[in-house]
Order: sequence, then C-alpha cells, then structure tokens
Amino acid sequence: MFNATVQSIRISTPKITQTCKSKDCLNALNINAHGYRCLSTSSCLHGKVVPRKKPRVVHEIAGLEPITYADRIHYVPGLAKPTFPEWDRGWKEPRYYKSPKLEDMPLHKDKPCYIFNQRTNVLEGVRQALWLSKSVLIKGLPAQILNLAQDPVNQIENQDDRVQNAIKNSRLWDTTEHRPPRERFCPSLVHSLLHLCDSLQGTHPKLAKRILADKYSLAATWRRGEDMFQVRGQNGLLLNSMTPVPVVAGDELIQSTADQALETFYPISPTIDLQCTHVYQEKDDTGFRADYPFPHAHTLFLMEMGNTPKLYPEQLRAKMLMFAFGNALARAQALYGKDPGILEKPIVVQSVATNGRLFQFVVFQLNTTDLQSDSGVKNLAWVDEDQPLYEFAKVRPLIKKKVVQVPAGLSGYEPNTFKKFLAFYLHGAA
Amino acid sequence: MCVNLLSSALRSLSLLGSRTGPSQIVNRSVGPAVDGRGSLTVWRDFITSASQQQNRTQWKQREKYTIRPIGMKKTGGRDYTGKVIRHGIGGGHKQRYRMIDFQRLRYELGKEDQPIVEKVVEVRYDPCRSADIALVAGGSRKRWIIATENMESGDVIKTSGTIGRIAVLANEGDSHPLGALPVGTLVNNLELYPGKGAQYIRAAGTCGVLLRKVNGTAIVQLPSKHQIQVLETCVATVGRVSNVDHNKRIIGKAGRNRWLGIRPSSGLWKRKGGWAGRKIRPLPPMKSFINLPSVAAKS
Repeated sequence: MFNATVQSIRISTPKITQTCKSKDCLNALNINAHGYRCLSTSSCLHGKVVPRKKPRVVHEIAGLEPITYADRIHYVPGLAKPTFPEWDRGWKEPRYYKSPKLEDMPLHKDKPCYIFNQRTNVLEGVRQALWLSKSVLIKGLPAQILNLAQDPVNQIENQDDRVQNAIKNSRLWDTTEHRPPRERFCPSLVHSLLHLCDSLQGTHPKLAKRILADKYSLAATWRRGEDMFQVRGQNGLLLNSMTPVPVVAGDELIQSTADQALETFYPISPTIDLQCTHVYQEKDDTGFRADYPFPHAHTLFLMEMGNTPKLYPEQLRAKMLMFAFGNALARAQALYGKDPGILEKPIVVQSVATNGRLFQFVVFQLNTTDLQSDSGVKNLAWVDEDQPLYEFAKVRPLIKKKVVQVPAGLSGYEPNTFKKFLAFYLHGAA
Repeated sequence: MCVNLLSSALRSLSLLGSRTGPSQIVNRSVGPAVDGRGSLTVWRDFITSASQQQNRTQWKQREKYTIRPIGMKKTGGRDYTGKVIRHGIGGGHKQRYRMIDFQRLRYELGKEDQPIVEKVVEVRYDPCRSADIALVAGGSRKRWIIATENMESGDVIKTSGTIGRIAVLANEGDSHPLGALPVGTLVNNLELYPGKGAQYIRAAGTCGVLLRKVNGTAIVQLPSKHQIQVLETCVATVGRVSNVDHNKRIIGKAGRNRWLGIRPSSGLWKRKGGWAGRKIRPLPPMKSFINLPSVAAKS
C-alpha cells in the first residue's frame, strides 16, 4: 500500500519538478524503503553520521536521593529513571531460572581443582599424564600379555578369517555408500571384535564372569603437590569382571620405580589444558554401586563415537592413561579408604583405544595412592602405540596414472594386533 | 498553476492510497504549503531515535581471552551505520580471527614477580595480518603472539619487566622494556604507553631500531624512518617480525586480490596530481609519546 502511494507520487513528480525545481522536493522523494525516519530523510543521505552514543554514566552521590518518576508511573523529562528491585515471581520457573553467582554456590571453595574430563586435550600428552598420575612409562607391553598373545591355545579357530570378516563387515558391508562414517564403523568394529573374543567362552569359562558397561560416570580425586586434581565424567566402554586383573609387575620392579625421576616440562605447568574450577565436589566414585557383582574394572575401550573431540594419538594415549588411572584410583579408594599409602595388592586396569584402524594399548598398575610428593614408589604404565589392524579398506580401488595403488577390499591385515587385543581380553581369565 | 498541479498530485494520493483518514486529513489541513515530505508521513509509529545499526559487530564483543579462532563477519567496508567508509573492500575467502595478545608482559595471576618463560607450540599463518603468528604456552595458559623472524616450534622465549643496571643480552623473540636493551637493538611490537599493548612495528618483516636512551625515555626509529620517543618502561620484542618475504609475493592475477577481499579500483581515468611521483622532504620532527605530568600538577 505504502509502495503504491510512493508509485503514484513518482508518476506525478515530473509535473511538480517542472514547476518547482527545488532540491527539497527531490530529497523528500528519495525515501528509504524501510519506512523509518519519515520526519526528515535519513542521516545517511545528508552525509552526516550520527555519532555513536556512549552509555550515560549516572553518578551516585552519597546522602542524596535522586528524585525519580516512579510515583508518576510515566516518563517525565528531568527526573531520574527509577530502579526497582528485581521481581520475584514467588515460585520456581525453570525457563527463567537464574543461577546464583559462582561465589554464592554451596559447592564453591577457595582452592581451585583441576579436572580431567573426556573432552580434555592435554598439550604435553603422555608426559603430562605420567606426571599427573605419578607414574613411570615402560614402552611395549608386559611379558604376561605378550605370552598370552603368542600362546596357540588362546587362538580362535579360523581367527584371521573371522577378524577380516569383522573388519569387512564394519568397513565395507555396513552401508551402500563408499565409506561409512568413522562414528559408525569404529564402534561396530570394536563390538564385533569383542564378540569374537567372547566366542572363547567354551575353552575359557572365566570369560562368562564379565560384563560391559557403557556411559558409566567416574569420579576420582587426588592431591598432587599443592593442587587438587580430579578425573571426572563419562568416558568409554568399560569391561568389568568378577575377579581382579592379576598384578603385572613384581615387587622388585615396583621398588625400583622409587629411584626413577619424573619427567617435567618446565615452562609449561602440568595443569595446562585441564579445566580449572572453584565449584566442585570432592567425590570418589567408581560409577557403580558397592554391591555391584562385577566390581573390578578390567579394560576400558575408547573409540571415536563423534561425541568427543578428535584427538591426536599422543593426546589420546594421555586420555587412556588418565582414565585407566582414575578407574584404578577410585577402586583403591573404595577398597582401602582415602588414606594415601602404598597398596598391598596393586590394582591393574587396561585400556584400548582405536580410531577404527590404529590401536593403542595401555596397561596401568596403581602401586601407590600417595601422590602428594614426587619421591617414593611410583605407578607403572605400559604403552604400546599405533598398532594398525589393517592398512586399507576400500570399496573402490585407488588408481593413479592408470596404476592400481591400493586394491579394492581389505589390504595389509596385521594379525598381531588382534592377538594383542585378544590377550588383553583374556588377561585374568586364561 | 503550481497549486493546481499539487492538488492534482494530492488527489491521486487520496484515490490510490486507501489508508485510513488521519494522514489525508493532515495533508489537506496543511494545504498548499505542504511539500512531499509531509504528505508521506504515513508511518504511524515512526522512530525518531538514531538509525538502527547495520553492520553488527557482536562477534568481536568478547571479554575473556581464548585461543580458539572466532568466526568473523565481513564488513564490506561499511561502518556501523551501514555507510561505505572504505571503498574497494568486499568478498574474499572466509577468515577467522585469532585473538593476539599484544601485551607480552601480561603476568599470570599470582606470578607477578618472576619473568615469564614460554614455549612456542606452533607457528602458523594468520589471515587477519601479514605477519605469522605463534602459539606459546607457559604456566597453565596459552596465547597467540606475533612471531619473529626465526621463531620455530620448541623455542623457549622469555619476557621480563625489569630494567637492570647493565643492558641484557637478549635473544630473538624475547621481550624486554626498552630501558633494558642495548642501544642499536632491532625491536618490534613496540608499546607506546607502558602496559597498553604493542601498537607499532607489527607488520610482516618490519623492525625498528633503538637509537638512544635519554633520561628515562627511549628513542626508536620506526620502519618509516620516523623517530618516536617513548618511556623506557615500554616493552618491545627483540628481532624482526616474521614473514620477511611478504613484500616479494606475487599476486599474479586480479582474482587473487579478490580472494583476499580487495575489489578492483574504479577504472575511471584520473590525471595524476601531486600525490604521484617522488617527494623529497625532511623527516617530521620526533614525536613524543610521553605524558609527563605538568609542573602545575607536580607542585
């Protein structure tokens, strides 16, 4: 409608301009389409920029009360704007809930806590995780697990065929697309491998006393030096067992860790990239009830599910180490109380992480809960890095310059990686 | 005749515009004195306050420091009112802004007395500036700074705020107050006022020279050969800014400038005037950035 009137004016303009060629008339007709500012043409047309207004500062003078227009119920020029107390609706309205200030929260403490959760991406990787958990790194896997892996008794019949079928199932046969997303094939590969491992129940009856738990929530608190640390939250797929995992390192190895020094990384503090908060709860919880029939954490499986940030392998190993440590610590505190000290029976937790092709293996042994100082007996961590299960799994071959670089289907299968995976699973049952 | 024409124009208004009474009544009452402006105020709830903001800058209203890149909105050369203030800008590849900490001497909470030692994690390209930037980590924080010429990941750089009796032997990438550096040092990222953050010598490949130190002040030669005088507590980084070959890169084609968000110039022929050609003129006098309290304030 408005446009119509403008149109009609436009039609009649030549007549007007013929007679009065004043500039005002033309200016008035150049109206902006929004329809705002009709009293005069916009400042933009005049080349005049309205300066940005600064918020007005109202000074408070002690002893003087500003006269407001509160009792008039309408704006009066010259009188101050009244400020009213915040309206309390008198009932709890979740849509308009305003959280109290951090300082007023009941859980607020003066001392900060550094929290490691599943979204943490630590800068220094394994070194930082070793410092935080006060442990000594040993490259490779312990001899017991390697022996289990090499033992022909522990093999599944047609093992290689069945593993390759599992890989093909998750990578090739799962979808009609060229490639399923990693969030899909990574968990499905782990689950099918676990299912394969479970098929050894006939020969290893102890495997029946296992259970998998997803989305359990962990909490473990410890002090390291001056600071307080926590491992918190959901992390991965946990395999629980009725019996504890056998101790990996003997007494001599445990005692010899007392002499080894922890690696530091000076300009960078070990608390970097951890979540620093003043509102926290000092909680130690394995995530399961005390009367849970499968109390012992056996192996923690971390996969790329798409709900956590993608990590570089170094940071991923740090995450595995920290969560294995957290599980062990929570269990130790549930068993032996919160007093720090050297454990009579060390607690072992394993961890396996994968991105669907590369596998990382970590065995963590908690020897001591006395983490305050850097001296004394330390914990032990075995880390086996970047073990590929296969090289390529392609639906269509990769052809470059008419030469097939990578054939279609599965190629470069490494049987040793699955043997290690199986040994981790059988550890404590064979 | 004029009145006749106007009345005919107004008649067409009243015929076509079936808007309700008041506007037309106003028009008639004003009579022949009305110009087009009055007749068009048909918007009832007109707004007389300042025009609405056109170019939103919410993305840069941020108080807490972060190393995460922030998505930027292109301005197209417009200011907050939506008016073109810089022509020849528009389009280009999407860019993200990384917050650079220009104040090198920013202490961590509770560590005000010891010098800051940091390790370079990464040196990378930044779309928002010509120089490269470096991610440095020290203590329990990380920040972006402007990288110097030979900075590499793994380097350890130092920042200190003390001015000793003897000039320090500074490595490249270290930050010191100008008073602590020996005369003749190449500096970059120069502060004009202590604690305000670096404002000068931040472009790729540039460096200034510390010429002399006089009486609590320092005189620095800028890359433009101008000289400025600042307080000797102003912090500067030692060395030359990275990406030295920035002026040697070849744009190659018009389209590459478009990638960078630069539009072609107007193409209109203009006679060359006084702006063209070499000019020989003396250097301007030294500029001083020292706001010493006046005598009246002292007494």
